[in-house]
Amino acid sequence: MENRIIFLIDMQSFYANLEKLAHPLLTDKPVVVAGDPSIRSGVILAACPTAKSYGIQTAEPIWQAQNKCPHVHILKPHMQFYVNVSVTISSFLEQYSAAVEPYSIDEVFLELPAMEQGKAEQLAQHIKQRLLREIGVQARIGIGTTKVYAKMACDHFAKESRTGTAVLNDANAAELLWPLPIGRLFSVGNRMETHLLNMGIRTIGQLARHPLYDLKKRWGINGELLWQTARGYDTSPVSPSTHQKRKSIGHHMTLPRDYYHWSEIKVVLRELSEEVSRRSRQHTSLGQVVSIGAVGQEYGFKRSFHRQQRLFEPTNSGRVIFETASALFKEYWDGTPIRSLGISLSSLQPAHYKQLSLFDTDEDLDSLYHTIDQLKDKYGMDAVLHASSLSPAGQAMIRAKKIGGHYK
Amino acid sequence: MHFTIQRDAFVHSVQHVNKAVSSRTTIPILTGIKIEATNYGVTLTGSDSDISIETFIPASDGEKEYVTIKEEGSIVLQARFFAEIVKKLPGEEIEVAVQDQFATTLRSGSVVFNLNGLDPEEYPRLPQLDEDNHFQMPQNLLKDMVRQTVFAVSTQETRPVLTGVNLEGEESELICTATDSHRLAMRKASVETKTGAMSLSNVVIPGKSLNELNKVLEDSTELVDIIVTESQVLFKFENLLFFSRLLDGKYPVTKNMIPDHAKTELVLRTKELLSSLERALLLSREAKNNVINLKTMNNSEIEVSSVSAEVGKVTEKISCDTMEGEELRISFNGKNIMDALKVIDSETIKIRFTGAMSPFTVQPTDHDQMLHLFSPVRTY
Repeated sequence: MENRIIFLIDMQSFYANLEKLAHPLLTDKPVVVAGDPSIRSGVILAACPTAKSYGIQTAEPIWQAQNKCPHVHILKPHMQFYVNVSVTISSFLEQYSAAVEPYSIDEVFLELPAMEQGKAEQLAQHIKQRLLREIGVQARIGIGTTKVYAKMACDHFAKESRTGTAVLNDANAAELLWPLPIGRLFSVGNRMETHLLNMGIRTIGQLARHPLYDLKKRWGINGELLWQTARGYDTSPVSPSTHQKRKSIGHHMTLPRDYYHWSEIKVVLRELSEEVSRRSRQHTSLGQVVSIGAVGQEYGFKRSFHRQQRLFEPTNSGRVIFETASALFKEYWDGTPIRSLGISLSSLQPAHYKQLSLFDTDEDLDSLYHTIDQLKDKYGMDAVLHASSLSPAGQAMIRAKKIGGHYK
Repeated sequence: MHFTIQRDAFVHSVQHVNKAVSSRTTIPILTGIKIEATNYGVTLTGSDSDISIETFIPASDGEKEYVTIKEEGSIVLQARFFAEIVKKLPGEEIEVAVQDQFATTLRSGSVVFNLNGLDPEEYPRLPQLDEDNHFQMPQNLLKDMVRQTVFAVSTQETRPVLTGVNLEGEESELICTATDSHRLAMRKASVETKTGAMSLSNVVIPGKSLNELNKVLEDSTELVDIIVTESQVLFKFENLLFFSRLLDGKYPVTKNMIPDHAKTELVLRTKELLSSLERALLLSREAKNNVINLKTMNNSEIEVSSVSAEVGKVTEKISCDTMEGEELRISFNGKNIMDALKVIDSETIKIRFTGAMSPFTVQPTDHDQMLHLFSPVRTY
């Protein structure tokens, strides 16, 4: 384990640079990729380094970016194109090792056979150059002995380093990583940061030196995981199947405006249920656990809940998913205006066999779903919809034109 | 409290009440067995608040002396130790004596155990049941009815009412039904009532209670009294009372689920189908779905087959005594059918199918007191 060599390869300003590839005239211009300005997703998704030099940041609203740089070029996203390039990069990296794990659309883990550190840095430079020359993307590479080291090496050091690569391992972690504020530890979010600060833990090093039993007492296995992350322990392999073997099928959407009423929320829950149901049929899967997540906001406070329920029998029926999800929602919703909703189906099993129930015969529903699926495959996602989706609260018509919330 | 008791009778009784004691109870006193001595005899009580068992050992029953009472009183002793200890005591007789502070001495032969007891006043009282709804049946019939239905209860807590067996009674007919929504087992019997007309509906006894009851039931024709109230059922034996909580909730109406027609009807030998399914399940067990395919052939034969993608496949032909109606291909959970075949005592069975996607019934040919219903498995 000592000698593992893991790269995290991160594509710099991925969307923006890909747009520049597609529009060569913009190469030297400030370019940002942003969602639709008319609805809430009108924020900067990616900014090229030129745009960033004007102070434009990812996730700020378009108008703010325009204030900083009036001549910025705003482009709509082309998600399908980005996904395709991302897949190309993964298969390009397979030349070096079979252990390639896409971590997100613009980040890939690569595990290589053991080698000296100097050799690894040379190889990282070589991969970086080839990616730029052959695919046209700027990459930064974090090199570590574990996945968490590689990820943090990339996030905290490679981005600032002149070479675009950085090495993190047990030998230099105490010097480089430990002085960083705790919020920059991988897997520590806002809430966890607050908890840790309240405990007096302000740096990664303080957490690494904190007694393990105390963390275990507070958070159980998660506490131990956190401590291991601070110390760079991570035995998880770089496995190509991480993204292929699904554990759940879920859909999530950010609403164009806050929804206040059950009558509106219900419409979106039904649409999400139908999408989850359709995708589980595409995977010939049935699921037995339905989860619902909702994020609300009131007076500037974020309020969210996430609840799940185990079903009596596995299902992929949109009706059952909807009924379960809406019962959960109604039970736990405190009336806060809702800004995003998600539904997922987990505890998946193959649907090649389905034990029919003595109580309700859903045979008719199955052939109905089959027909709807065929219509959608042929004429698009908006070919057949629940009538409620045509009401102002409905999102299905707009979503039919998008991937991951952005235009195809 | 101070008494001397015949070891064998005591061990037998302790083991009965110990069935009701659970180490995982939330009420600490219920980890114990309550012992109460009066001049009439010794009463033992064990409970996990769902099931309670009370046994009585009389001082004497005319033939034999069981207990010699020296001082009346009561005590609660930790069941985990007490039940093991009495089983292992060497002598013919056991002497039980309680001193101050619930300190208890068990003496047998040259062995002495000093145990710390618990305050018997803390032990909850068993319910006093109103005996209005009351009927009787032979122990062996009740044992059969339980055995032939309880296997079909659901093990999933998501629909609690299905984890029990439902009792319905009209006139002098008692119907027991259990279902987990994939299969259903039903058994009828005629019983004697004290009041003339019995009326039971939605009496759902937890499957777990019935499994414990079955260990107490003996294979004899001696009658057992059954008393039903809103929330409890009591099985009353000569020297033993078995209480169980009833399950809340409405048991689904099952009468109309049983098809009254058949498209394909088979009569075949129970054992032959059972051993054929056992063989076929060797492969489908591997696939973890227990799916068995059945196909009707010409000349009154059926083909039973099973496929596992990793291991291979098996096919087997069985000849039926009679076969009527349409051709059929159907898949089902073979394990469920086997469970049912194991409790059917008849040598031949009748299977009535109503189509590949709808429920089918399995019944013994020599009486109509029993019926098993199954929903098929749809395969893609």
